[in-house]
Formats: sequence, C-alpha cells, structure tokens
Amino acid sequence: MAHQAHAYHMVDPSPWPLTGAIAALLMTSGLAVWFHFHSTTLMILGTILLLLTMFQWWRDVVREGTFQGHHTPPVQKGLRYGMILFITSEVFFFLGFFWAFYHSSLAPTPELGGCWPPTGITTLDPFEVPLLNTAVLLASGVTVTWAHHSIMEGERKQAIQSLALTIALGFYFTFLQAMEYYEAPFTIADGVYGSTFFVATGFHGLHVIIGSMFLAVCLLRQIHFHFTSEHHFGFEAAAWYWHFVDVVWLFLYISIYWWGS
Amino acid sequence: TLQLIQNAAARVLTGTRTRDHISPGLRPGVPSVRPPPVFVSPTKLASEAGSQVEYLGANRVPDLQKVFQRSDGVPVHLKRGLIDKLLYRTTMGLTVGGALYCLVALYIAAQPRNK
Repeated sequence: MAHQAHAYHMVDPSPWPLTGAIAALLMTSGLAVWFHFHSTTLMILGTILLLLTMFQWWRDVVREGTFQGHHTPPVQKGLRYGMILFITSEVFFFLGFFWAFYHSSLAPTPELGGCWPPTGITTLDPFEVPLLNTAVLLASGVTVTWAHHSIMEGERKQAIQSLALTIALGFYFTFLQAMEYYEAPFTIADGVYGSTFFVATGFHGLHVIIGSMFLAVCLLRQIHFHFTSEHHFGFEAAAWYWHFVDVVWLFLYISIYWWGS
Repeated sequence: TLQLIQNAAARVLTGTRTRDHISPGLRPGVPSVRPPPVFVSPTKLASEAGSQVEYLGANRVPDLQKVFQRSDGVPVHLKRGLIDKLLYRTTMGLTVGGALYCLVALYIAAQPRNK
C-alpha cells in the first residue's frame, strides 16, 4: 500500500455521489409525474435509490474511520466543521418558517378577523400535550448527555442504556405529536394559521425522526464497540443534532403554541 | 466507589482513622461463638471476574480492521466481497435504469396534449 506523507484522507473513488444525484432527479421528476399523471413509480424508485445511497455512503464512512483509521485529528476537525455548518444551514431553514409565522401573526389581516389566533380557530392548550412534549425532549437532552459521559468514561452498559432511553423518548415525542395531529381541531388548509402551524411543526417532527434514526445508528455502533472513550465523533454529531432539534422545539413551543394561542 | 469516596470524606471531616469505628473485639470474659458457614464456595466480586464482563456480544472491531486494511487495491465500498458487490450492482442498476425511465417519462410529459 502506498504510504501518504500527510494526515488527510484521500477517499477511494465512490459511486454514491452519482447514485445520490440520480436519486434526487428521480424523486423530483417523480413528484411532478405524480402530480400530473397520477403515477408514483418514479418517485418511489427515487426514494429507494436515496435510501440505498445513504446506507452505503454512511456505511463506507464508518468503514473508513473505524476500520481503516483514516479519521485522524485534522480529518475529525473537518468533520466537525461540516456538521456544524450543516446544522447552521438547518437553523436558517427553520428561520424561514418562523419568519412566515411572525409575519402573519404580528399583523393579522382583516380576512383573519384582525386578530391572532384568527377567528374560528380553536388552538391547542399549550399546557396539555405540548407541555408534556417539551418535558420529554428536555429529558432526552439530559439522557443523551448522560450517554456521552458514559462513553467518555468507558461505561459500556450505562452508555447503551442511556442512549436507548434517549431514543425511546424521541419515539414517545413522535407518538404524542402524531396523536395531537390526529386530534387537532384545525387542519393545514385552515388559513395561514393552519399552514404555519403544520409546516413548522411538521418539519420539526421530520427532524425528530431523522435525529432518532441517527441516534439509533449510534446505539448499534456503541453495542458493536465502534466508539472509544477518546474518539466517538459520530455520537457527538448525533448529540449536536439532537440538541438542535430540542432547541427548535423550544422556539416552536414558545412562539406558536404559547404566544400564538 | 462512590461509597468509598464518601467514607474518605467523612473521615477527613471528623478527623478519624480508617479502623477507628471497629470496636477492639468482644468484652473480656464473653465466650466467642463461631458463626455457621453460610457460603460453601467463596463469592467472586465483579471487579475480580476479569477485565470485561461480556455485555451484548464480544468486540469484533480488531477482526474487521484486519479485513478492511488488506492491501488488495479494492475500494472501500466493495471491500467486504460478495455482499458489497451485489448491493452495488443493484444500486447501479436502479440508477441507470431509473435515469433512462426518467428521461422517457419527461419526454412523454413534454408532448403537447391534443384535445
């Protein structure tokens, strides 16, 4: 094997960027075909290709880091920058929806009755399930920190248990939110209130599911001894993402559920 | 361990020594009675059972490290052999087939609708 005279990672040629790009093409064209020709084949094909790409790409990253040792300190630093920049881009994504909410709610139009919540909208009581959801996510923030400290201290059993508990809390949140969606007295079609509510909380819920999946992968890796007490960046990235999801919920709760009710 | 720390802290605070709390044996004149042996075999502490009590499987990372560090020129996405090759070919098949299907669908979608 040729030996490199630097600490950086020159990746092997990989087909996954191409398959991922084609997946994006199929998903978007598939969406248009679904809208106009009522066929979901292309879109489903695109989604399957996306899932295959994600699985194999990230599997390869684990192989390169854990099994081949390519994640040296400078490489890890780059991965940290990458995750932080990605989360920052997600912050801006949510900022847009909060902008839309405040735009409509700070100056409610005559069509809404000149008030917020608009006339005819029965809002959800912020001190019922939404408050429970807040407690659930805050608790999961505690358990994920507990998991981190367990990993750093080499406490295998505690790390597995606290990480599993974090994921369980994430699923509990998703379940409660799904129930709320089902029972809500208003829909996404109920004016700008419905739109802002369901789009903002809906994208948040999607991020909770993504975060839970990320943590679940970390749990599997922890069980299989991938993490050491000094090197466990995959877990740290998942924990950062999870804290981000928690913070977005707090903003949602304060703005839409509480102030907006 | 936490209990040992708390005990040490208590000794520091009270200025006592390690075995001060143990009374120096029975009062003279009292006959001692041997307690009946409860345990036939000695019990083993978890800390003496070896470096790691197995929890959810053994560590196979060193073996996998050997597999993935073989100098055979195979790229990382195919390094595990047959299963990698099958998954790669399936994915590539869907990619090429899907791209062609997409182009055909878009071509058809672009045809004008004759009423």
